Amino acid sequence: MSNVNKKKQKVKVFPIFNTVLFIVISLIILIPIWKVIVDSLDASAGYGMRLWPNQFTLDGYKMVFTRSALYRPFLISCLVTISGCFLGLLLSTLGAYVLIQWEMPGRSFFAYMLLFTMIFNGGMIPTYLVIKQLGMLNTLWAVILPLSINVYNLVLMRNFFEGIPASLFEAASIDGCSPIGIFFKVVLPLSKAALASIGLMFAVAFWNDYTNFKIYVTKNSLYNFQMKLRGLIMDGDVPQTGDKISDNTIQNVTIIVAIIPFMIIYPFCQDYFVQGVNVGAVKE
Amino acid sequence: MAVCKACNAELPKNARLCPKCGTKVYQPPKNIRILAIVGAVIAIIGGLLPFIQNAETVKDAYSYMSYLNNKNYAYPNHEILWYFFMLALVATCIIVVVKKEVFSIITTVIAGIIFALTMNDLKTFLAEPQYTIGFGTYVVIFGLVLAVAGCFFDILKYRKTIQYDTRYFTNNKSTWSRMVNHKWFYLMFLPVLIFILLFNYWPMLGIRYAFTDYVKLPVYVGIKHFHKMATKDTYFWMAFRNTLELSILKLFLNTSMAVIISLLLHEITNIHFKKTVQTIIYLPHFMSWVVVAAIFRMILTTSESGIVNQILVNLNIIEEPVFWMGTNETWRPVYYIINIWKDTGWGTILFLATLSGISPELYEAAQIDGANRWNRMRYITLPALANTIITVFILNLAKVMNLFESVFVLMNDAVIEVSNVIQTYIYTQSFSGVPNYGYTTAVGLFKSLVGCVLVLGCDWASKKVRGRGIV
Repeated sequence: MSNVNKKKQKVKVFPIFNTVLFIVISLIILIPIWKVIVDSLDASAGYGMRLWPNQFTLDGYKMVFTRSALYRPFLISCLVTISGCFLGLLLSTLGAYVLIQWEMPGRSFFAYMLLFTMIFNGGMIPTYLVIKQLGMLNTLWAVILPLSINVYNLVLMRNFFEGIPASLFEAASIDGCSPIGIFFKVVLPLSKAALASIGLMFAVAFWNDYTNFKIYVTKNSLYNFQMKLRGLIMDGDVPQTGDKISDNTIQNVTIIVAIIPFMIIYPFCQDYFVQGVNVGAVKE
Repeated sequence: MAVCKACNAELPKNARLCPKCGTKVYQPPKNIRILAIVGAVIAIIGGLLPFIQNAETVKDAYSYMSYLNNKNYAYPNHEILWYFFMLALVATCIIVVVKKEVFSIITTVIAGIIFALTMNDLKTFLAEPQYTIGFGTYVVIFGLVLAVAGCFFDILKYRKTIQYDTRYFTNNKSTWSRMVNHKWFYLMFLPVLIFILLFNYWPMLGIRYAFTDYVKLPVYVGIKHFHKMATKDTYFWMAFRNTLELSILKLFLNTSMAVIISLLLHEITNIHFKKTVQTIIYLPHFMSWVVVAAIFRMILTTSESGIVNQILVNLNIIEEPVFWMGTNETWRPVYYIINIWKDTGWGTILFLATLSGISPELYEAAQIDGANRWNRMRYITLPALANTIITVFILNLAKVMNLFESVFVLMNDAVIEVSNVIQTYIYTQSFSGVPNYGYTTAVGLFKSLVGCVLVLGCDWASKKVRGRGIV
């Protein structure tokens, strides 16, 4: 009898333990973010952990949208993200569409050419010298163009495209549709999920880009938000306010502004992100 | 008689497609095309060697050939021949790739003739090597011989396997007409091609700087930098060791944490709770490393706002605030913890996808047989997960050498001994003081080569384990 009781207890304990564990894990992830949010709304931030701001203020956020030193990097980030995302999607869809033309002479040559760049690369300095020779240093081209050709995303897109039945292409071409027509009228409308998923990947990469800016851009007026944030945190390069908000508040505000676009978009697009990861690795 | 794999129908001799179900059954015979291509590529590399040795322009680079033809440099304009030489070799590669080996013989021989023309004074070349490209000549000769031999082998092979039953050919149009059919596709590939050539292949030519001292202009120094790397530069070896240690331990910790968390998350039955937890643990992945570094810098500071120090001091675990990010002993653990915080959640995606694919019937059957939770996990879940774990491991092992941004934003001068990795070493050497691009290119080349070996090894392992390569 006691044995049965023990067994019953065991079965009950595990789910509770599990639930508590995941609440703790969620808290570990959320507490740092929550601290930043609270501090960004507190005029006298910088004094340990608070659950709620002491002196509630929105001045920090107001500053981001009134000071050109802060909203300019934000706009540059937006510009780079949107244009890079568009260009990246264009290149990966074009490349992926060509790579599924099995009858095309030279297809495998192109495929190997793309794959080789994944195996071997020139390295940081030769790439820097090429960008320099192209006259792209200290322009936004240097951060948009090299990052927009991403062979990994291109291959991912090809995996998506391979799922489109070949009979659709045949039917369209019999109806007199040109290859470019098929691309725009058949392939793209059928792969909206793929476009969303890979587009989001590009967007995250461009929005979070710090390395390329650090290497290729030395002009202060062309910094993106990540660069600005880094300067604010590391060098205490906080714009003088004259208001009653502390430097720490402004730093927290910039952190929030840097993550807010994806925090808003992401819960709605979670499935696309997850799909992108799964197609990349699991597809047989 | 051969049999179709898909429908078990008997196949006619040399059929390409199964006449019954249309599955591709034809395997093109493996010939030695690779030999011809390797030969041509070696010859191309040999042709490029004068760049490394002499100077930046074709004219100067080719002057060694002019010198041999005319010691007074009276006719230095042989460089046009160099262009023809390279063009012929590239043509060879392309022709071999499109399987017209017969013609590649012609281009290879043309390349050989051009080379012989410019090198007609071989005696002087051997006598006065200071004006030569050193072993470059031998490289070219070896490559050309290999290319010609490869092409001849191909023709022999080609003759042997020519007889197919043409009725079952999918496509018996000529290559040229297929190319015309696909003309729009070539146009569509053009932008991709331009980007790839510009940002991936052009930098590869820059590898030649690894053999030069490049402060203002590149000056050929041979393998001096590699010698320095191997013998004198302790910072380089430190960076190399750090790269391996940091990224491999990080990979182990992240993967094992992700496996544990996804196993436990899989046990949660409440869909809404599970979904919420997933949303929360994926969150940090979308923050850039700059943001993550900023957040943790604030949490870990020694001042009053550093909550970690405050809590630990209040609990009397430590006497006074620790400078977590600025101490050699604590930097690495902190780095691993931050990595786990950021990427573990995202890493669970693949494992959860695999787990949701396990048939519930298996669990039910096991439960009836009296298997407890632990046994079910041990004998059903883990074996199903093993393949995915290996996959994730292999995919990430290939990226081990690329470690940069996460370290770069978290490191500082105080902890350089434990945190400097190859990429950050290259960065700091190249963009501060008077940089010698030659040396940093050499370090980068070493990194690329090790990375290349890793990728190929992982690809090989991946093919062994799961039947397909990395991509």
